[in-house]
Amino acid sequence: MSIWSQPPGSLILDPTPTMENYVRIAGDGYYIRGLLRTLWLSLSTTAIAALLALPLSWWIVLRAGRFRGLMLTLVLIPMVCGALLPTLGLMNLLGPLGVINGTLKSLGLIDRSWKMLGNQTGILIGLVHAFLPLMVLPLVSALDRLPADVESAAMSLGANRRKVWRRVILPLAAPGLIAGSALVFCAALTSFVTPLILGQGKVATFATMAYQQASLVLDWPFASALAVVMLVILALIGAGAWGAQRWAADTP
Amino acid sequence: MHVKPKLTLTSALTAVGLTASIATAQDFSGQTLIVGTWGGDIERLLKEHAAAPLEEKTGAKVEFLLGGSGDRMAKIYAERQNPTMDVTFQNIYEAPQLLADDLVVAPDPELDIYETVWDGMNDGCYAMSLVGLGIAYSKDLVPEPPEWADMWKPEYNGMIAMAPYPSSEGDGLLGVAARLEGADEHDADVAFAKVAELGEPALTYTSLDEVFALMEAGEVAMAPMISGYVLAGLKEFPGIGFSFPTDPGPVLIRDMVCQVKNSPNPELAQMFIEYALSAETQKAYAEEIYFGPTNSTVKLSESAAADTINSPEEVESLLALDWPWLIEQRADWTERWNKDIMGQ
Amino acid sequence: MKLKTILWAALTFAVLLYLIAPIAVLIFSAFDDGKFFRFPPRELSLRWFRAALDSSEYRSALVNSTIIACLASVLSVTFGMMAALGLTRGGLRSRPAIEILLLAPLTLPLVVWAIALIQIYARLGLSGSFWGLLLAHTIIILPLSVRILMATLSNIDPNLEDAARSLGARPMRAFARTTLPLAMPGVLTSAAFGFLISFNDVVVTTFIAGASWMTFPVRMYSQLRGQGVDPITLAIGAMIVALTLVIVALGEARFKWSRRI
Repeated sequence: MSIWSQPPGSLILDPTPTMENYVRIAGDGYYIRGLLRTLWLSLSTTAIAALLALPLSWWIVLRAGRFRGLMLTLVLIPMVCGALLPTLGLMNLLGPLGVINGTLKSLGLIDRSWKMLGNQTGILIGLVHAFLPLMVLPLVSALDRLPADVESAAMSLGANRRKVWRRVILPLAAPGLIAGSALVFCAALTSFVTPLILGQGKVATFATMAYQQASLVLDWPFASALAVVMLVILALIGAGAWGAQRWAADTP
Repeated sequence: MHVKPKLTLTSALTAVGLTASIATAQDFSGQTLIVGTWGGDIERLLKEHAAAPLEEKTGAKVEFLLGGSGDRMAKIYAERQNPTMDVTFQNIYEAPQLLADDLVVAPDPELDIYETVWDGMNDGCYAMSLVGLGIAYSKDLVPEPPEWADMWKPEYNGMIAMAPYPSSEGDGLLGVAARLEGADEHDADVAFAKVAELGEPALTYTSLDEVFALMEAGEVAMAPMISGYVLAGLKEFPGIGFSFPTDPGPVLIRDMVCQVKNSPNPELAQMFIEYALSAETQKAYAEEIYFGPTNSTVKLSESAAADTINSPEEVESLLALDWPWLIEQRADWTERWNKDIMGQ
Repeated sequence: MKLKTILWAALTFAVLLYLIAPIAVLIFSAFDDGKFFRFPPRELSLRWFRAALDSSEYRSALVNSTIIACLASVLSVTFGMMAALGLTRGGLRSRPAIEILLLAPLTLPLVVWAIALIQIYARLGLSGSFWGLLLAHTIIILPLSVRILMATLSNIDPNLEDAARSLGARPMRAFARTTLPLAMPGVLTSAAFGFLISFNDVVVTTFIAGASWMTFPVRMYSQLRGQGVDPITLAIGAMIVALTLVIVALGEARFKWSRRI
């Protein structure tokens, strides 16, 4: 469908094959910029999620003890609530009349709202929130393979803490980290409810562009072309992650 | 408050005419009419005033399919070989497009109900309600009911809220901006440059209450908004006003009701549309949610008349945009809006 | 050492707080009396909860959502089980590739998929029908079901079933008596996740659903597009989140769900 077109002023599809839609994506800096912005946002989301998930998963596996179940339940929450409800919650948290601005205002620290929505910060906060579980879960299952006393064992052999992390924990966590990163990256790349609501239309990602074209402009062939571009990127990443995982599994 | 519409002489006459045209209909029990419309107050009013009497009269069942009008467009086009919806409510620029693509039944000038609608409004489909794009404003920040030009005053820079684009609000604002510069919407460069002067929108709103709450908090000064829901919602916010500007006038926006071509229940669909356009339904629309009647025979209470577009003079003062032309610009303008106005 | 441990713990709890805060705020804002949430709230009330319980439209939408989510999760577990059995027992070499393929639909932009689907449905005369909607929901959740079930099955020794068969049990019976009970936690996990995904889907249902099968999220979303956030939906959302929490907490306590995804 992405190689079809619509005659001007009509929405009836013309199934003569044309590359027009792809030329439009490639030829206009706007879509390329949008694509780069989306890739950047997804990369940052993945990086931040990894940074937050590593200590959290490590804690859950080695230190949480009988609170493990409880903590994992808490981690699962954003995933099972769907995209819409947590995003509405974030709006009420970050918005100009939300909890954070409200608290700062009543403490007299600021008098005009601090803008956290409608920019990349807001979207990042939302994306990391939505997809952190996808990073934590594979990490936890990878770290689960660590013997409980690995840390003290390595240290009794004279390794210092940093060495234990670099030589033992990170290599063991690598497959989980790679799997989690691929999941988070792909999910962030195609997510549209979060950037749509938290970006307030001021920050466009590839998925919100596709949504705008499909649902509002009603240019379905062009929306399909945008989606195809996204699928190709996803396929490349999938193949890359698979390769990386094999490599990590083969490296001792 | 629910205002029980009083039956005036004219509406009584229309009702009699309506009954006469429906009395000849056969029995429709067991059939289901599918009507696509917006959720919320519109759905409720249509249920009370159009669906209920139709069900009682014919024995058929009426079911509502809720969603945005864009979702319905997608559905109609996708199902055009085999439609499931009978009646659909669309906005001012979608209706002519549907007719041009031969997906809806053209309004029938022979019908009584065609005659009662203001002249020239059955464009593509039947005109259902009249609303105008005006300005909602915070009474604290904007002391006098504003004109369009007031939005460009430096003190309000960056304090204007806007609806997401594409939307009739966005096109309306572009049309007004171009006219303030002595051009009209056909001159896109002028229109976009002028709107961009407003500065980055303080908010792209998805909810009316969101705008009102921010106006009360002093974060938003003005927002181009469509009368109707807004005026109904404002009754709870004494600090916020709504102005119908005069130079140029409010931008005419109307909801349309369409009969889908080759739908399963054409007779029922037509009857539903007759009920929807009847003086009684139109009056309820006006009294409860301030949607101006397209039925020229409706007589309104004083408060509803003040807040709706309902007299020939008011209809005359509205600014009409070239919607068929605008719809052709849709893709380009969406890109421009994203780039020039939203600063993406 | 001590200080480091405390810092580490503090970081962990900060991350957990960040995960929970939006949900907590959502639940809290449902108690706000105003139409649009603001903090600090001016008055707290149960007004929206009462309105939610009174609204027959929302009640019927919730019932529809529940019916469809139940049936779709049962169907997807059934088909998912067949697929997972084939994939784990079939000795396929391309298994990693299939696992990645199974993840792809989880990340596909659903809008585009939905538009393609509605065109296919229109040809088949399925649009607006209950079966069409059920089929669409089953398809959305199937990849996740297969994935969870594959993970479960690969931990179960196929020799058990073979042993049962060599003792004379018919294949179906052997499966029902040996593998199925062992796989039960995985089956329940996949059913529960399927239920939650189907119950929360907005995008596909908006396009596919007919008038008589309006689900709760679609109703909420159409309200959002028309007149904005209706506090009633926040109240119902808060109740759904609370219910979800209970289900997930029970599942985690009973079946260790988090190890199965």
